[in-house]
Amino acid sequence: MRTLVRAVLHRDDVESEIHEEFEHHIAMRAADLVRSGLSEDRAAHQARREFGHVDTHRAEARLSRGLQTLDQVRFSWLDVKLALRMLVKHPLLSLAAVFALGVGIPVGIAPAHLANAVEAPLPGDKGRRVRAIRLWNPATSSVDVTSYEDFAFWKATLQSFSMMAAFRTSSYNVGSEDRSAASVPGTELSPAAFPMLHAIPQLGRALNATDAEPTAPAVVVLGHSLWESRFGSDPSVLGRSVRIGREMRTVVGVMPAGFRFPANEQLWLPLPSQSTAAGGALSPVRIIGRLADGISAEQAQVELSARGLSPAADEPKARARLRPEVVPFGLLYLGLPRGGFESLLEYRFVQLLSIVLLLVACANVAMLIFARTATRFREMAVRTALGASRARIISQIFVEALVLAMVAAGVGVFAIGWGLQHVNLAAIAGQTALPYWLSLDITAGDLTRALLFAAISATVAGVVPAIRITGKAVHQHMRETSGVRFGRVTGALIVADIAISVAAIGFALAIADRSTVGESDRFAGIPAAEYLAVQFRMPDDGRASDGARRDLVERTAAEQRALVASLRAEPGISGVAVGSALPRMEHRSVPFEVDGEDRSPDAPPQWVRTAQVDVGFFEALAHHVVAGRDFTRTDVDSGRRTAIVNTAFVAHALAGKDFTGRRVRFPARKGADAAWYEIVGVVEHLGVNMVNADKGAAVYLPAAPGSINPMWIGIHTSAAPSSVAPRVREIMNTVAPDLVMGDVKVLNEVHQGDWYLIVGVAVGLAILVGVLVVLATSGIYAMLTLSVSERTREIGIRTALGAQSHSVVLMILKRSLMQVGIGAILGLPIAARVVHLTVGATLGQSPLMSVSMAMGLAASLVLTVGVIACTIPARRILAVDASEAMRSDG
Amino acid sequence: MARQVDLLPGNLDVVILKAISLGEVHGYGVLLRIEQISGGAIVVQQGALYPALYRLERQGLIESHWGTSDNNRRAKFYTLSSLGRRRYGEEKASWSRLAAAITLALSATPQEI
Repeated sequence: MRTLVRAVLHRDDVESEIHEEFEHHIAMRAADLVRSGLSEDRAAHQARREFGHVDTHRAEARLSRGLQTLDQVRFSWLDVKLALRMLVKHPLLSLAAVFALGVGIPVGIAPAHLANAVEAPLPGDKGRRVRAIRLWNPATSSVDVTSYEDFAFWKATLQSFSMMAAFRTSSYNVGSEDRSAASVPGTELSPAAFPMLHAIPQLGRALNATDAEPTAPAVVVLGHSLWESRFGSDPSVLGRSVRIGREMRTVVGVMPAGFRFPANEQLWLPLPSQSTAAGGALSPVRIIGRLADGISAEQAQVELSARGLSPAADEPKARARLRPEVVPFGLLYLGLPRGGFESLLEYRFVQLLSIVLLLVACANVAMLIFARTATRFREMAVRTALGASRARIISQIFVEALVLAMVAAGVGVFAIGWGLQHVNLAAIAGQTALPYWLSLDITAGDLTRALLFAAISATVAGVVPAIRITGKAVHQHMRETSGVRFGRVTGALIVADIAISVAAIGFALAIADRSTVGESDRFAGIPAAEYLAVQFRMPDDGRASDGARRDLVERTAAEQRALVASLRAEPGISGVAVGSALPRMEHRSVPFEVDGEDRSPDAPPQWVRTAQVDVGFFEALAHHVVAGRDFTRTDVDSGRRTAIVNTAFVAHALAGKDFTGRRVRFPARKGADAAWYEIVGVVEHLGVNMVNADKGAAVYLPAAPGSINPMWIGIHTSAAPSSVAPRVREIMNTVAPDLVMGDVKVLNEVHQGDWYLIVGVAVGLAILVGVLVVLATSGIYAMLTLSVSERTREIGIRTALGAQSHSVVLMILKRSLMQVGIGAILGLPIAARVVHLTVGATLGQSPLMSVSMAMGLAASLVLTVGVIACTIPARRILAVDASEAMRSDG
Repeated sequence: MARQVDLLPGNLDVVILKAISLGEVHGYGVLLRIEQISGGAIVVQQGALYPALYRLERQGLIESHWGTSDNNRRAKFYTLSSLGRRRYGEEKASWSRLAAAITLALSATPQEI
């Protein structure tokens, strides 16, 4: 084995050793012959003669050393050059193959890329020592709340961590000289977080332990972009007093642009110890820690598991099932299970899909390479006749496929790299920016995986057709000058391609159509373009004591009421709808029960979308109750538990029966008691999210301004809604300075929740459809090209005998068109079924098309592509000169 | 010089192993040593020796290293590996049994039947 390895790795050395040994032998023999009396010349001559034919012995020696087998699969630069020449010689085919693998390979590496990216260390975490400590709820597969008590308990008891810090994020109104306030994301955090992440301020200092003491002066550290945007990068900002929420705080430092912990926060306040939330409940915080020297994450996990949860925390029974975990920060932030993406079934599914797509791409590229190689039978046959072994020819075809796959991988990785740089992924994910620690740049690991996938692709797409072609076909070609034909497998592949293309195109059209529902200006009968949607939140101030916090809640409730009243009184504003969600927005989903219904205790809970709305909500949105009555001020003020449901709720939850006297409740936990709400009215669909304008059951509950947080206000104006925004801000600053103003958008520009999912699916499908259509087209094209080259002689004879050109073309195209037809027919029902199961229900009322229209479009699109793919080879057929064709041996 | 004999196929290897077992030797030396120990009866075709040596080396029966030969040239020297030594022992015993059996068979008389 060692000899063989050496032969592979040091081939040239081994060759020269054989040569040297032979020469030594001949010289020794010649010296003996000289000693026996021969002249040096004659001795040398005779020694060579006695040794025999050097080349023959060398060949035998190489065979003995196992080099000859290697020779046959030896790769050379010539192979690479030949492969590059083949790329240029068949540009269309190369383009199709590179496109297919250029999509397939990046799609193949994408899941691992993402999984690794979310587990990357936080910037400044040298040696990957910082971990998040969290509570995992196995029952719901979600991250549970960790309290300050937990933090204090673990900080005092865990030895595995040298430092620990807690933090919680919020939005703060940051005041300025012109009294305008803007909402800025910020974090209250333990000062230890700064040294833990080696975060050095650009100006001034970071927070320190004394800042967190209750009696310490109120201070703030600013983020770089906040310092730039609000303070004009003024270095004298240090020491200045700035209003943050309700408090004046002194700026003590400015962090560099690269620090936005924990995601994209722009200001940092000290987290007070013994932090409690409103009402005295334990305040939720998130926790990070740096592993002590010499301690691994696994050892820390063992200690944490042994230590358990804080005994002082509330509800010890409910929390007993929670599992404390030491995980990379990204897993805490994204709420992923301990194993990361890889432990999710969905991830495995996506990974499987991506591999299937790569394999489909490989299979099609194999077909293209097969077609390309099939046109070179004469070359293969001549090389075989000249002594080239089968392994040698296979290795050459493999190199050709490898070059193709490498080019494709390069193109694909470059495209992904470019895309990640230039596409606003945060916007696609519905965020203003991606977390600062999430780097999606291409890594060395990605490149390695891409190369590996390229090699696998080349093996599948190159070696398989090469083995088939160099089998009996070459010998057959030598005997009877007949090439290979595309078999049933390749025919089936084309049919499958077409079928999948039709299904995917149909589905993509339906999805695209669906996403336009939310894009239209009228949504569920509401002229969305005439509404300004503004979000308001109560400030979150951890420094307040319980009493102060209660005061704050009361005061902001009063401010909310004042704000709504001022807006209603404003000229030019014809309606103000106040609720926890407006139409087009994602409504909260909760489990519900209807009274008088016998349901098995083990039955899975039913879910419904809910929103809390103020009196006049429906009216402001130009909707009126269709049965029963609207909410009245008495419902809100008296605390009567009433509810208004939509028609879908009546149809599904009440089975279309009369709602009078029926009640609904929302148990937080299965079997738990909850208050009943009496249904007093029914409204038409208002939409429960962007893509469900006209379906989805909903329950609306009455709530006064002040009790909804965060609160959305939909302002109906006769003027352009965006022109009203400054006035709304002005009013807020006057009557509700404590409120935090969030998003301000015209209602038809609000994009939330499922819409992103649908757009993501649509983009993914568009790529998939593109790949499939190109593959199917190139497959048909390759098949036709071969078909023409194989039958050139036959065509010549037919033309010479007087056959019409159109009948010759038809004869050649018949098979391909039949495959396209079969594919389209097979694909249609699959597509229709998929569309029906997923989005079909809403397509019926869609403004653009119905299922059958989408399917018809898909089929005609694929047929058109098929016909175009047939046209170029058909034109080649007509260009064949009869006399030349008959001379050819094809 | 003794009359030359033809080696049976496969017997060259055991003769080479024997030659090398007598001490470290280069390729040409193996040839001379075989001639010497067989009293000139076994003459190996010179060029054919090397494929056999490489095969034995690949099988791990002999080992090689580069050194300097009598004529001050770089030469490759062969020694027997422990596996080769064991194999040589087995081959030798097997040959002795075969030779004894054939000798016995050939010396048989009609009376012994």
